[in-house]
Amino acid sequence: MDWPAIVLSLKLSSVVCGLLLLIGMPIAYWVTYSRWRWKFLVEAVVALPIVLPPTVLGFYVLVAIGLRSPIGRAWASWTGHGLAFTFEGLVIASLLYSLPFAVQPIIVAFSQVDHELIEASSVLGASRVRTFLRIILPLSIDGVITGAVLSFAHTMGEFGVVLMVGGDIPGITRTISITIYDQVQRLDYAAANKTALLLLLFSFAVLSVIYALNRNSLATSLLRQQARE
Amino acid sequence: MELSVNLQKRLSAKFTLDLRFSIPPGVTILFGESGSGKSTLLRCIAGLLTPDVGQIRVGDQILFDSQSRVNLPARERRVGFLFQNLALFPHLSVLRNIEYGLDGLNKTEAQQRTENILSSFRISGLRHHKPGEISGGERQRVALARALVTDPSVLMLDEPLSALDYPTQSQIIEDLRAWNIRHRIPILYVTHAQREVFALGQRVIVLQRGKILTEGTPLEVLETPTYESLAQLAGFENFFDATVISLNPASGTMLCRLTEAETEVELPLSKVQVGSDIRIAIRAGDILIAGEFPRLLSARNVIPAIILSLRREGAMMIAKTDAGRVFEVHLTPGACESLGLKPGRHVWLVIKTHSWRFVGGK
Amino acid sequence: MKAFRLVCCFLLVPVISATAAEQQLQIAAAADLQFVFLDLSARFQKETGHAIELTFGSSGNFFSQIQNGAPFDMFFSADVDYPGKLEAAGLVEPGTLSRYATGTVVLWSRKDSLIDVRRGLQTLVDNRVRRISIANPDYAPYGRAAVAALRREEIYDKIRNKLVLGENISQAAQFVESGNADIGILALSLAVAPPLKSKGIYYEIPTNLYPPIDQAVVILKSSKHKDIARQFLTFLKRPDIAEVMRTNGLNVPESQPQQRKARP
Repeated sequence: MDWPAIVLSLKLSSVVCGLLLLIGMPIAYWVTYSRWRWKFLVEAVVALPIVLPPTVLGFYVLVAIGLRSPIGRAWASWTGHGLAFTFEGLVIASLLYSLPFAVQPIIVAFSQVDHELIEASSVLGASRVRTFLRIILPLSIDGVITGAVLSFAHTMGEFGVVLMVGGDIPGITRTISITIYDQVQRLDYAAANKTALLLLLFSFAVLSVIYALNRNSLATSLLRQQARE
Repeated sequence: MELSVNLQKRLSAKFTLDLRFSIPPGVTILFGESGSGKSTLLRCIAGLLTPDVGQIRVGDQILFDSQSRVNLPARERRVGFLFQNLALFPHLSVLRNIEYGLDGLNKTEAQQRTENILSSFRISGLRHHKPGEISGGERQRVALARALVTDPSVLMLDEPLSALDYPTQSQIIEDLRAWNIRHRIPILYVTHAQREVFALGQRVIVLQRGKILTEGTPLEVLETPTYESLAQLAGFENFFDATVISLNPASGTMLCRLTEAETEVELPLSKVQVGSDIRIAIRAGDILIAGEFPRLLSARNVIPAIILSLRREGAMMIAKTDAGRVFEVHLTPGACESLGLKPGRHVWLVIKTHSWRFVGGK
Repeated sequence: MKAFRLVCCFLLVPVISATAAEQQLQIAAAADLQFVFLDLSARFQKETGHAIELTFGSSGNFFSQIQNGAPFDMFFSADVDYPGKLEAAGLVEPGTLSRYATGTVVLWSRKDSLIDVRRGLQTLVDNRVRRISIANPDYAPYGRAAVAALRREEIYDKIRNKLVLGENISQAAQFVESGNADIGILALSLAVAPPLKSKGIYYEIPTNLYPPIDQAVVILKSSKHKDIARQFLTFLKRPDIAEVMRTNGLNVPESQPQQRKARP
């Protein structure tokens, strides 16, 4: 079992998940509450990585961070080497690749918070930050967790973008999905089987968690309805 | 401390809110059908919506002034707002809900106020429950407590009693009245139910399609020239001029004669002189039709009439009858059929004394 | 918020394993070296204690990656041109470009196939052969050699619509090994390796039908382990190691390594 690859995948997914929560929540907040008439364009951009082939995404990321780009050059002058084929390059690519998986569940959760509750909070003297932290976030925590878990799992399973932007450097950019690819190329089907099964079980566990969470929130919202009647 | 409102807000191509009014401490009813702009008005006062032009003032404090570009955000306005759906925070306990607006206060003061209001509204025992676990009436009191514990300078209630049964409504009206006596702030109470108008209101402002139709005491309001449109709002179909013939304090009634007719009717006693001219009204739905002269009936008004016309409207029959003056009567199609009613038929109108509404001297 | 703090902890996990990996020699190796180099790198580690990390792929792919700064120490190409271009671009440690082996192209089919590839290139034209896998000739040297041979034999146009392109010669092998292609034009070094040797039969395509597959290696200027890299090169030129390469389908030049100046 290729433990360095597993550790690398877990690390990549954790870092990306954490960063996506930090940048995803403000994006989700803006999309939910903004009334800008061109908002739909932003929503389309956020959703792009879902429909784009990974190779397109990988290509554009390579161009954006390559040594001929301003970002790549800045990075090179700071660290002495390029951004492609590094863990940091993978993080950037994965942030884009998994962005909609983090942001969209959060948008759905935010939108479902009753607008009157937000109005009530304002009228009772709460600032926007306080309204967000005390009312919106607790009531949409299920969606936030779903977004976090989905982006984590999605990043674990990345292949095309990681291969293009990271190469296949053992210990640095060889994630578990690439390991499987290499094992197949080596005709080492036994190893590929083991690794693939591990990834399959992991994804299944993740999805079960999400569905268990949503089951709970559906049940409690039904209970609340009954109490009202 | 008065609440002064003067605002215009264009909501759509055909609908503009254009109001100017002032309300003193005490309960003022804002009366109007749905779509008349009541909710928008409340939200403008609360700071949740911004008017296009105007000024909103509580005493000397200016909440909004388009000319000097003052627009206090909602959280700084110290307005109490009871939402139509209550908007209680479902994930917080009753205690936390009520404390929510007291964030800026020091702990002892906050605790004191919370305890006081919990006992005023008799909800101390519910403090650890969540809104989903208590009854409708209890939720209503929690929402009221939450709005009032912050000691607002203005209180607004958006159709607060609509989902409740009559006893609970009465109780809450009592609570509000008791609180009002102690605190004396302008209270703007929005409703489309007349019962609440008469139960609570010292003043009524009638809103129609974004503009003030009329304002005054509940009685004044029902007497003004624009009466017809208001009457439609109020659900009255029959209005008559009448002259007081005699008063009977012992039984609490008085006898009146409909102007330009011989018809005499008995109403509940009012503070009027014999011989004065008054306006009276009755709902078409409160009149019964008898196919033959009824005997041993408790109703004191039995008036002969002739059916002029019959018209079906949805699940209801509208009958126009001539009883000296034209009375509109509502009945079911089934009743119409079983009585064999037709234009020209002689019938008797049966009216209970208390169905008559005295709507003021002329 | 507990979840939030947990997430922050993940963010603080330092990139330790990356620095650990940087101690090892990173080698980009053409896919035909897939099996031989696994064996040899293990031997090298045993003898010298230095660990080698291998990444296999197509030479063309590595070429563009290295141009874009991929952190390899050495690049074993399946041709001479890619290393030459890198040298011309100034990315190569001077004097380190050398030929390390010559490759051979073979036809390969599974043992249970109805086709006997030992009958030569004409078997490709057989109607029962529906798919032929080769490495992508656009950037894989073995693919280029395969196409050259097919053209020389004048059967390329007849069978071009049967061609299935692998991203590199390993993938081409995987296609035919799994039965998804009927015949593969593969590297000899793959055909004689255990996973394929037991499963199929091969036919060496006559060398006069295609230009020699001279395979060259370079040490990259950016390498931080040039000394270990040179050690590995010397290791490969040792007679006993060279013999291992030969038995595994890679022809190693007997004489001193010749310095080849590539045409830019």
